[in-house]
Amino acid sequence: MEELLKIEKLSVGIHSPMGKVQAVRDVSFALHPGELLAIVGESGCGKSMLCKTIMKLLPKSAKIEGGRIIANGVDITDYSDKDMRKLRGKLFSMIFQDPMTALNPTVPIGKQIAEAILIHEPKLPKEEVYHRVIGLMELVGIPQPHQRYKLYPYNFSGGMRQRSIMAIALAAKPKILIADEPTTALDVTIQAQILDLLKEIRTKLGTATILVSHDLGVVARCADRVAIMYAGKIVEIGTAEEVYYDPRHPYTWGLMQSLPALNRGAKELKTIPGMPPTLIDPTVGDAFACRNEYALEIDYHEQPPMFKITDTHYAATWLLDPRAPKVVPPIGGRGHV
Amino acid sequence: MRRNPFVYYGKKALIFLLSVFLLSVTVFYISRLAPGDPLMSYYGERVEKMSVEEKETARGKLGLNEPIYIQYIRWVENAIKGDFGISFKYKQDVMQVIGSRIGSTLILGGTGFVLTFVGALLLGILCAWYEDRWVDRLLCKGGTLLSCIPEFWLSLVLILVFAVTLHLLPGSGAYDVGYKNNVLNRIEHLILPLVIVVLQHLWYYAYMIRNKLLEEIGADYVLLGKSKGLSKRKIMFRHCLRNVLPSYISLMAISVPHVVGGTYIVETVFSYPGIGALSYESARYHDYNLLMVLCMMTGILVIFCNMIGQIINEKLDPRIKATEVVETSEVTEL
Amino acid sequence: MSEILLDVQHLTHVFRLDKHAVIKAVDDVSFQMKKGEILGLVGESGSGKSTVARCIMNVYKPTGGKILYRDIDIGDKAQLRKHRKMLESLRQIIFQDSTSSLNQRMTVADIIAEPMSIHRMRPARGSLRAEAEFQLSYVGMDASYLDKYPTELSGGQRQRVAIARALSMEPELLVADEPIASLDVSIQAQIINLLRHCNREHGCSILFIAHDLSMVEYLCDRVGVMYRGRLVEIAPTAELYANPRHPYTKALLSAIPIPDPIAERSRKRIDFDEVSFDRDGVLTRIAADHFVLMQEEV
Repeated sequence: MEELLKIEKLSVGIHSPMGKVQAVRDVSFALHPGELLAIVGESGCGKSMLCKTIMKLLPKSAKIEGGRIIANGVDITDYSDKDMRKLRGKLFSMIFQDPMTALNPTVPIGKQIAEAILIHEPKLPKEEVYHRVIGLMELVGIPQPHQRYKLYPYNFSGGMRQRSIMAIALAAKPKILIADEPTTALDVTIQAQILDLLKEIRTKLGTATILVSHDLGVVARCADRVAIMYAGKIVEIGTAEEVYYDPRHPYTWGLMQSLPALNRGAKELKTIPGMPPTLIDPTVGDAFACRNEYALEIDYHEQPPMFKITDTHYAATWLLDPRAPKVVPPIGGRGHV
Repeated sequence: MRRNPFVYYGKKALIFLLSVFLLSVTVFYISRLAPGDPLMSYYGERVEKMSVEEKETARGKLGLNEPIYIQYIRWVENAIKGDFGISFKYKQDVMQVIGSRIGSTLILGGTGFVLTFVGALLLGILCAWYEDRWVDRLLCKGGTLLSCIPEFWLSLVLILVFAVTLHLLPGSGAYDVGYKNNVLNRIEHLILPLVIVVLQHLWYYAYMIRNKLLEEIGADYVLLGKSKGLSKRKIMFRHCLRNVLPSYISLMAISVPHVVGGTYIVETVFSYPGIGALSYESARYHDYNLLMVLCMMTGILVIFCNMIGQIINEKLDPRIKATEVVETSEVTEL
Repeated sequence: MSEILLDVQHLTHVFRLDKHAVIKAVDDVSFQMKKGEILGLVGESGSGKSTVARCIMNVYKPTGGKILYRDIDIGDKAQLRKHRKMLESLRQIIFQDSTSSLNQRMTVADIIAEPMSIHRMRPARGSLRAEAEFQLSYVGMDASYLDKYPTELSGGQRQRVAIARALSMEPELLVADEPIASLDVSIQAQIINLLRHCNREHGCSILFIAHDLSMVEYLCDRVGVMYRGRLVEIAPTAELYANPRHPYTKALLSAIPIPDPIAERSRKRIDFDEVSFDRDGVLTRIAADHFVLMQEEV
């Protein structure tokens, strides 16, 4: 299968008053047409930064320091803002965490969607644009689109706004949709609806999706493949089944163990001790080592490479080295839920 | 929620009238409290030679002996008829005195106002566009410095440089003797005062526009705009500026008295025959009738502009009309 | 039957939007809390759960109904004045946003000790600072944090400081208003463990307000579900999760994402039709301790 998006050894640094923050470190992955890849990690692990890097929406203080981004077979790493503009919306577009602030409050919803269509097809006649907007609003499940066309964002609830944002993102039929925590700010019932919508759109339009989330439950609902990110690195990547039922990285174990759904009746929830590193000044060895109860001596000196478990499943932990002692994963298996 | 326009504007009008009434009472009362004998300004040196009885008759003639509320009522009665009394100093009908001066102030204040706000808008956009680049830094630093310099001092420096030393521009008056109807001559006289009026206010508003724009640029919807492929120019003009303008326009309305009032000092320094210079003189010579009218005019201007600003703001920004998003809660209409 | 700590009777709270509209944020809500119990209150944003918490803490004055705390009517001015000191120390609240609920200009030690100094309590461990240090160690932070400011702490640490402050008064009732909503998964677990510890070791009753239903299931003894200002169902946790009766509860539970891809993919979510929601029902007992909002049978 051909790759739609390929990230190779991507590193991003952010300059801050305290020093350079290594937000994304040596990340590689590929996205295939029509698949839904979830990137899971705690706040500050660099997952949002990774998305913004792909779209080249980085703040001024951030810079790509190494690696390549190959979209649709073309290396876009050094594309200027002008070149990127032709790709944004058309090749990939993005939806954001907070639907309350992601829409311009003074422009009617319909107009904001129409604008997204007109960027890439400026000569489209008015009636055609209107029809397309209505079509998009129907696609994302906004009831009574004709009446709602002229309404302002403040007339909409959070879920409806997130749907409108999806309509905007899908306006130019992008091949890749990047969803950055699209449901975090929403209620549980609305969250479920939006996730189902994401799945539905993928089946209807064949859009490949990168879903960024901190919630393993949300990811389980719709992801084909899952990447776990910690301290700017992907530490484990595999199909959803592989990562959920056969996790290999101690950090993945820690995340799963802290979930109440996997701990019913337990006296205490398992926690990961300590806090994520700040990523100022590159760490020697594995960034997770000091919070890792399974850490080996080598973890403190050398960063583990990605070990291959199956053709689709990789994890960056020295525990997978043939020389490492055998550790029985504390969690895993189909029946553990 | 739908509002009845009659009720809406009726309410505004009522508030306006009430404010004007309170203003007039205050102005009238304070002017009577002020030190200095109004007889002095009316009769000048002659007062000192008058006997006590003569003074009393003079006071009676001017209506200064009656209780203050009677004086107020009489004043209002006459005011409604358009008679604001006679200027003690100019021995002329107050409205005539003002009428002869107001044109000059309107030209100076009006041009200054327009230039200030257009300039501030352009500068603000320029700074926001080149945020933190040298243009932005230079303009911000230079602006702060300039706005710290007192206007009378800057006026004097400009007069010294351009009028006294270089003889390029006239340093006082609104026109040269004999050139009353010469437009070019009037423009020449306008330049220096105008520069001061504009420079004094420009930075404040430019800085505000810049910061408001940057605030908008930092908002999430700009990121969404970029991710759908909008160019920086379109985001700036179609989205950010659009969101900033309503508050800017209402601010413009509120600032009318501020900017126009700023001409007072300038007029005094440049001996420009306008309302500002007139106010200053009337205060100095205890010219009650004139001073009261000028105060009332300024006050009404302030109230009126504030009200207009408020209305514009409510009309232009759809967010203000919405109380809050309450879709999930139970809203009961009473 | 254990002692009833808190008795909320027909609580109603109405916010005035403007002259023409009001919001019934809380509408005729009644429940009881036993001593030593953890009661969860769940519902979507705007369902009124935080308003209930604030009424219980005397932040808002209820528009209608009664709240009895150990038989003291806290809505009654005379009774409130009489027992004010006791109430203020026995009830403590922690908020979702610890950034704004902690004074940025006070050190951690001052924040924790403040309630004690306000109530002029004699510190059991010699000095207020020693007391602060003890409380801090209780929530799992060492003394090196005593002189830090809230901005120097992470979200999880700030939330712990907020809990330490609340615990310094040795409260009987802890109201936790979305205490974990803005924290990371692994940090959430730490806070939940801490709350559970408070409850198990000190018998502190907790009113736990959250929208994360899986955490509520793990932590709480009983759960109440709120929808549009009404309490639609309340039952012991296991009973509620196994046997939800109100359509909204069913929809809510079906929407919880479970971290199991195969099971989750095939799960159908149950939609709840807002229009069908009947506000005028009565909380009816359908099993021991299980109450559902339903139409009264005539």
